Amino acid sequence: MRFKIYRYDPDKDSKPHWQDYEVALQASDRMVLDALTRLKAQDDTITYRRSCREGVCGSDAMNINGRNTLACITPLQGLPEPVVLAPLPSFPVIRDLVVDMTLFFKHYHDIRPYLTNGEPPPERERLQSPEERERLNGLYECILCACCTSFCPSYWWNPDKYIGPAGLLQAERFIVDSRDRAGAERLAHLDDVYKLYRCRKIMNCTEVCPKGLNPARAIEHIKMQLLRRSS
Amino acid sequence: MMVFSGQRAFLLQRLSALVLLAYVVAAALRLAFGAPAGLAEWRAWAAQPLAAAILLLLAGAVLLHAWVGVRDVVLDYVQPLPLRAAVLLLVASVLVMLGAWTALILVSHAL
Repeated sequence: MRFKIYRYDPDKDSKPHWQDYEVALQASDRMVLDALTRLKAQDDTITYRRSCREGVCGSDAMNINGRNTLACITPLQGLPEPVVLAPLPSFPVIRDLVVDMTLFFKHYHDIRPYLTNGEPPPERERLQSPEERERLNGLYECILCACCTSFCPSYWWNPDKYIGPAGLLQAERFIVDSRDRAGAERLAHLDDVYKLYRCRKIMNCTEVCPKGLNPARAIEHIKMQLLRRSS
Repeated sequence: MMVFSGQRAFLLQRLSALVLLAYVVAAALRLAFGAPAGLAEWRAWAAQPLAAAILLLLAGAVLLHAWVGVRDVVLDYVQPLPLRAAVLLLVASVLVMLGAWTALILVSHAL
């Protein structure tokens, strides 16, 4: 199978370049990550992140044939050749397919991704009704792979100010959590022309989320809650 | 609502879009069932105070909608602050002039 891979080694290269590869796959090689492992055996300078290899950790997020996704859950079968592998768009490249996610996680920390509840804790745990727990579905599953944020044009233009779809989906996850008591403060923090309102519902985020989540809907829900709060 | 909350623009864009949608539907119905025969009839219609007020509201909605849209594009693409301020000032000036011109035409025609 033929591959075309984005290569950049800041210690050697003055600028990035594309490198062509051909690799003989085995019957057990089913996903793009399997092919990358074969390629790494062939050329050990190819650099990429990977960990769980089953779509849970989000480490191997990359752009495959023009679409952000996880290499470990992208089947090789049916992929047009050469398979073009590139780092996540708009993120600074550290080396080859490895990107710098500092800004991405700065935005994540900005939404205060933890439950805030000043009430005295109950003896055992803070319980939720099945309906309250249901509200977290479609939100808590986010693995922070950054496929959505990196594919969002609004984030491309204002990466330092716009929180981006992943961060806003996570914000919604805590806003709707019945155990959290900081909903009003969370909404007030997001009520900003850049942090939230750069979203123009292009919906690339929802289109590429490898977990099938809908960040665009979460963002719209935050806007609606802000509207209700101010009316 | 804070001055730079973003929510004001969000609301303006949606409310003005509703006005535009209502106008498009009303205009389509008018054209489909009993369109004015010519310019003279259009002018006579626009000279009525209620029609002039509706057209003024429409012009306001168009200008506000355009302002929010262009402002969003400028916030995305024009990053240097002085240039951004100059472009926004230019856009705002053009839109205000267009609004004033429209109001002048409608009001002078209606009086």
